[in-house]
Amino acid sequence: MLDAATPGTDKPRKLVEITDLKMHFPIRSGLLRRHTGDIKAVDGVTFDIYEGETLGLVGESGCGKSTCGRAILRLYEVTGGSVVIEGRDIAALGPEELRKTRPTMQMVFQDPQASLNPRMTVADIIGEPLNEHTTLSSKEKLARIYELMDQVGLNRAFANRYPHEFSGGQRQRIGIARALALNPKFIVCDEPIAALDVSIQAQVVNLLEDLQDKLGLTYLFISHDLSMVRHIADRVAVMYLGRIVELSPRDDLYEDPLHPYAKALLSAVPEPDPAHEAVRQRIILQGDVPSPANPPKGCNFCTRCPEVQPLCHQQDPDLIEVRPGRYVACHFVKPEKPTAGSTGGIEAKERNQQGERR
Amino acid sequence: MPDGAAPVLDVRDLKTVFRTRGGEVHAVNSVSFDLRPGELLGVVGESGSGKSVTMMSLIGLLPSPPAEVRDGEVILQGRDILRASPEELRTIRGAKIGFIFQDPMTSLNPVFTVGNQIMEPLRVHLGMTKAQAEVRAAELLDLVGIPDAKRRLKDYPHQFSGGMRQRVMIAIALACDPAVLIADEPTTALDVTIQAQILELVKELRKKLGMAIVWITHDLGVIAGIADRVMVMYGGQVVEQATVKELFGNPRHPYTRALLKTVPSLSGGRASRLQVIEGQPPILTSDPTACPFRMRCAYAFDRCARENPRRRPVGPGHDVACHWDPEPAHA
Ligand SMILES: Nc1ncnc2c1ncn2[C@@H]1O[C@H](COP(=O)(O)OP(=O)(O)OP(=O)(O)O)[C@@H](O)[C@H]1O
Ligand SMILES: Nc1ncnc2c1ncn2[C@@H]1O[C@H](COP(=O)(O)OP(=O)(O)OP(=O)(O)O)[C@@H](O)[C@H]1O
Ligand SMILES: [Mg+2]
Ligand SMILES: [Mg+2]
Repeated sequence: MLDAATPGTDKPRKLVEITDLKMHFPIRSGLLRRHTGDIKAVDGVTFDIYEGETLGLVGESGCGKSTCGRAILRLYEVTGGSVVIEGRDIAALGPEELRKTRPTMQMVFQDPQASLNPRMTVADIIGEPLNEHTTLSSKEKLARIYELMDQVGLNRAFANRYPHEFSGGQRQRIGIARALALNPKFIVCDEPIAALDVSIQAQVVNLLEDLQDKLGLTYLFISHDLSMVRHIADRVAVMYLGRIVELSPRDDLYEDPLHPYAKALLSAVPEPDPAHEAVRQRIILQGDVPSPANPPKGCNFCTRCPEVQPLCHQQDPDLIEVRPGRYVACHFVKPEKPTAGSTGGIEAKERNQQGERR
Repeated sequence: MPDGAAPVLDVRDLKTVFRTRGGEVHAVNSVSFDLRPGELLGVVGESGSGKSVTMMSLIGLLPSPPAEVRDGEVILQGRDILRASPEELRTIRGAKIGFIFQDPMTSLNPVFTVGNQIMEPLRVHLGMTKAQAEVRAAELLDLVGIPDAKRRLKDYPHQFSGGMRQRVMIAIALACDPAVLIADEPTTALDVTIQAQILELVKELRKKLGMAIVWITHDLGVIAGIADRVMVMYGGQVVEQATVKELFGNPRHPYTRALLKTVPSLSGGRASRLQVIEGQPPILTSDPTACPFRMRCAYAFDRCARENPRRRPVGPGHDVACHWDPEPAHA
């Protein structure tokens, strides 16, 4: 975690710097498959990830979270912008250099089925990166495979089974074990726990936290489970239609969301209590969800925002720092003039509150 | 729900085994439950406890071999469908039982457009023309909250996000207004706002069409919000069943109690470590003659190793499969 990685008063080191990242998918239509437009899945996002932190990434389905995670790891050729990991722009790396950096950056995929080879046993799948990037003997390899299976709560007796012989949650854990195999530094976790029951979710999250404490791992944690994000993340970025609308330290966001979309999102979290569920008040968003192929003019959220004003239909708000460490893209969340002594208090309160970002 | 209404679906003593190189896997052991019109039955339980296999068995969706449905009855609207022919089953699946699979990527066909896949049941089961089906398909996509629905009918599954694919599955399952909807983790890939929208849609369909629903989920918050009754599975068996209020207020099975304790609360930060249920899940390699939870149970005693407990009533509409007899919480 942060305090472990950054003793004393040192500023945390930026591990990943993402600047104006864009990922557009072409739309082709007609008989000639002409390029007639673009799905702007990620449309200009800028943020940093600090070494040893967990940055949560939340937002509605289809807003571009997975695409963003994949683009950061260069699983796509991006449309624009740069991703600098440990000082190197990975968009500019050649294939061999990229292959060498692969072990340090891993991804746990949202769709485990699609990323597991059905003809390989679990041991083969988890062992594949070990074959490719290490020189372990087969005995050492097997020991490592068993160790990984233990860590994610898969019974060793299942090592020779094939992916289809597992339940959905068990398959997800195979993907997590594989991602951990090479002791990566940075992991993009795309909905790593969505398919798991709460006890195993807890087990996996505890494991991710232990590894972070021990090895100083850095995570981009994509999830729509807002309770779990609150538990695991140091800071949280809220995405809407290809853009980041708010990026704040965790507690600030949950206690006092500033962007109108963040407010609506947090009001909708279901709670495991029937009595409470019966009386809860949700902000249900009205209006059409725009398509990323045709985002509205002005602010991306203007078609559904409960607090919309005429300006919002004309001008696109920038993501600016409105409070220390809090970034919001809304014309009507104005930067607060810092009053004397106020910033120090916030910084001292929690280890995960980062003052400056740029 | 009216207690007296005849169930639309009645499952008795269902037993499913997989034959594998390593021996048999007893994935589903004597599972029984029923479902009344308009009712929503929530199903929760450990990963690997047999929730998906139970539901796939009862509508004949498991490839055999390796799966073998050994025993049981599945009565849909008065008819045993476990022994229906493959053609009959295909009609039942399309028109009477809607099924939302846990894994949307594998159940959508990558080589057909999304529109094609939604239109197929409309044309086959409802006899719509291509033009009619296209209009209805766009309506359905819109209903599950996919923007620009008409144009996106022409897209292929890989062009959709994880949550959008899941919503396509929901649209397909709802296409023919089935009497029973079986939803296996239907909202795992959805954010809370769209999840709320889908839950509203489901409530409406229950009211309007009296659709009965089985909803499998790990999300106890969702269960608390929409279920009438809840069934808890562990190790291929139903270990507890109760109304939603009773289950959350007076859980009786040690597994249920442990499960309810593991939920992180929205107010809790990282300071606290998350609760887990210690120990390993059972491997299910033989017909269980003992309680499957005993190795991880704080209350286990000698009888639990000798005898697999049967479900016994402990209150109105509440039953539990456990030898241990605690003082009820609200005695
Ligand atoms: N083809 C198969 N061969 C052997 N075992 C199988 C096969 N399919 C499933 N199983 C086993 O059957 C058990 C029940 O699986 P099922 O998919 O029903 O679990 P589940 O309760 O739906 O879990 P999850 O919450 O993770 O989806 C699991 O232990 C699984 O490993
Ligand atoms: N290969 C592709 N071709 C065309 N469009 C794509 C492709 N991949 C993603 N998209 C589109 O980009 C948008 C963002 O998708 P993405 O998968 O990043 O969303 P997400 O935020 O991860 O959503 P979810 O929470 O549902 O997983 C969606 O509109 C999706 O349809
Ligand atoms: Mg995604
Ligand atoms: Mg399942």
